[in-house]
Amino acid sequence: MPSSWRKILIAVLSVLLLGAAIGALYDSSLIGLLIAALLLVAWQLRQLFAFDRALRTNDFEAFRYGEGIWEQMFSRFRFEQQKSARHKDRYRELLREIRKSTNAMPDAAVIINDDNEILMCNRAAKQLVGLRPKKDKGQRVDNILRDGDLKKLLRSGNFKTSVDIESPLRQGDWLNCRVVPYGADQKLLLIRDVTERLRINKMRRDFVANASHELRSPLTVISGYLDGVVDEDLPEEWRNPFSQMQAQATRMNQVVSELLELSRLESAGRANLESSVNVAGLMAAAAKAYGGRKDVPNIRVKADETVDLLGNSTQIESVITNLLTNAIRHTPADGRITLKWSTGSGGGVIAVIDTGEGIADEHLPRLTERFFRVDRGRARADGGVGLGLAIVKHILNRHDAELRIASEVGKGSTFFCEFSKERVVQREKTAKAG
Amino acid sequence: MSTTEASNITDHISRRYNQDLERVRNNVMTMGGLVEAQLSRAIAAIVSGDSELGLKVANDDYKVNRLEVQIDEDCSRILVTRSPAASDLRLIVAIIKTITDLERIGDEAEKIGYLASQLAAMDRPSNSYRELRSLGNHVSQMLKDAMDAFARLDVEAALAVVREDEQVDEEYEALTRQCITHMMEDPRSIRRFMNVTWSARSLERIGDHAKNICEYVIYMVQGRDVRHTETLEQNPPETD
Repeated sequence: MPSSWRKILIAVLSVLLLGAAIGALYDSSLIGLLIAALLLVAWQLRQLFAFDRALRTNDFEAFRYGEGIWEQMFSRFRFEQQKSARHKDRYRELLREIRKSTNAMPDAAVIINDDNEILMCNRAAKQLVGLRPKKDKGQRVDNILRDGDLKKLLRSGNFKTSVDIESPLRQGDWLNCRVVPYGADQKLLLIRDVTERLRINKMRRDFVANASHELRSPLTVISGYLDGVVDEDLPEEWRNPFSQMQAQATRMNQVVSELLELSRLESAGRANLESSVNVAGLMAAAAKAYGGRKDVPNIRVKADETVDLLGNSTQIESVITNLLTNAIRHTPADGRITLKWSTGSGGGVIAVIDTGEGIADEHLPRLTERFFRVDRGRARADGGVGLGLAIVKHILNRHDAELRIASEVGKGSTFFCEFSKERVVQREKTAKAG
Repeated sequence: MSTTEASNITDHISRRYNQDLERVRNNVMTMGGLVEAQLSRAIAAIVSGDSELGLKVANDDYKVNRLEVQIDEDCSRILVTRSPAASDLRLIVAIIKTITDLERIGDEAEKIGYLASQLAAMDRPSNSYRELRSLGNHVSQMLKDAMDAFARLDVEAALAVVREDEQVDEEYEALTRQCITHMMEDPRSIRRFMNVTWSARSLERIGDHAKNICEYVIYMVQGRDVRHTETLEQNPPETD
């Protein structure tokens, strides 16, 4: 029993006893007891009312009554109240800081719920896309940002990708939108100004395209004359230099045309889903075109004839031939190359498997870079340009596919092109569709 | 939150009703977004002389039409099954009118896309149709503002668009005059400038349709809460 309880019990008892004792002096101890009890009740009531008034008026300074349990209750109440007020202040401060920092963010952040209704947005959202932080609360974000791609992204539920939309405020500006789901049913929509980045990318692309284009005409002239000269009877000492020059001019031509193809691919959009590609047929044709020679390893095709791929036929053909010529280049003549087209639950896979020299792990991440070579010294001997895998990667990007490489030095490498399920169709269906 | 059985049911019904209204409204916004995209692509096709893009715009008009039919059906269904009253009724009426205008804008964009594919095959002026681009940007901004006003039920913004239409008309007037001058100077260019004039005409019509949409917005909101629309008193909306 706490001491305060004991104290008040003793006080009550002693008052009652005192009342009874005084009553006993006048021969009516019961009346004395009753008066004492009434006095006690009155005192308690008074405390109670005072406490209630203090609660209602919030003026705790006025509550100065008594000691013991009432004062203790009061001071505990005060203490808790002050503590919660302090907490509230701290949280308010924290919230203010967070809001300040989100407002200072250069990217727009919009918190939306399951129905894409805006719960909160920062100041950058106003500057970038014209959302009004206060007025647009509860408004569906895709009703204000009426971009088809953004709507698709919000509806898809697949938030790994991001979309670029044109700025609704400034023409020619581009914004990158990303959705990050968090909590039970909330999402964070992040919008970033990527105009500058896209402009630089475009400048780079244009530069490569223009430079390749400009190189092409002089090259045509050079190789044209070289062809003419080589055909004629040349003195013995000139024969070798000229044929070298011719070979290098051809090579340079190839570099330029592959660069042009790359820049064309970069500016092309996503490959459509409307036309289907007969992968098995392309593989058979490629195997026939490159195989059968003595210095070329044996090429086998294991393709699923019943399924087709949705996409651009010439681009897929380019993927197959690029991977195949790469494999041929790196596989000894007694090796074996397998072209495989198979489908599973995850989608379709084009695989090119060789038994060549393999690639060391540290080179794998850089393999698709332009002009990257594992062995610099060998660069010119094998006729490769160094753009093949970059082209493959770009084409796959256009088809929402991914390039995965598995390789072991000395045993061979496998290049997997993994396509999503929506790009794989049964042959019968496409035949009917025309 | 202890709700009785009865209140639960009414809550449920009205929620479904709300969802229906909300869905139609969202579809209108989707349609608006589609039409905006069509218009901006059509303008881009003219300015950049991209005949492929122009034809694509012309071919994509069916999407707008399909949405119009769908929204129209939804509206009829709501009218029949819910018999909406007051602001709900105004919303439905405004939507039915708005989608008609949006569909017309889609048609004009289709026309512009088609004209762009024709213009791409002809000589191009050195300024690559700067006047058309400026008129086009003006009009697409109007359309965007109109749809924003629709989404936000923002009467002020709607009024601003209504006023904006006069400027578009002036710009159109100037452009027509310019085209006539060109045609008189060089009769061989008549064919080309006829196309330009038609494109400008389409853009001007789109401005009118955007203005109409804003008038529906004012109609829709005005009945709901007149207190916050002080400007209306100086500038009564035409709610026909």
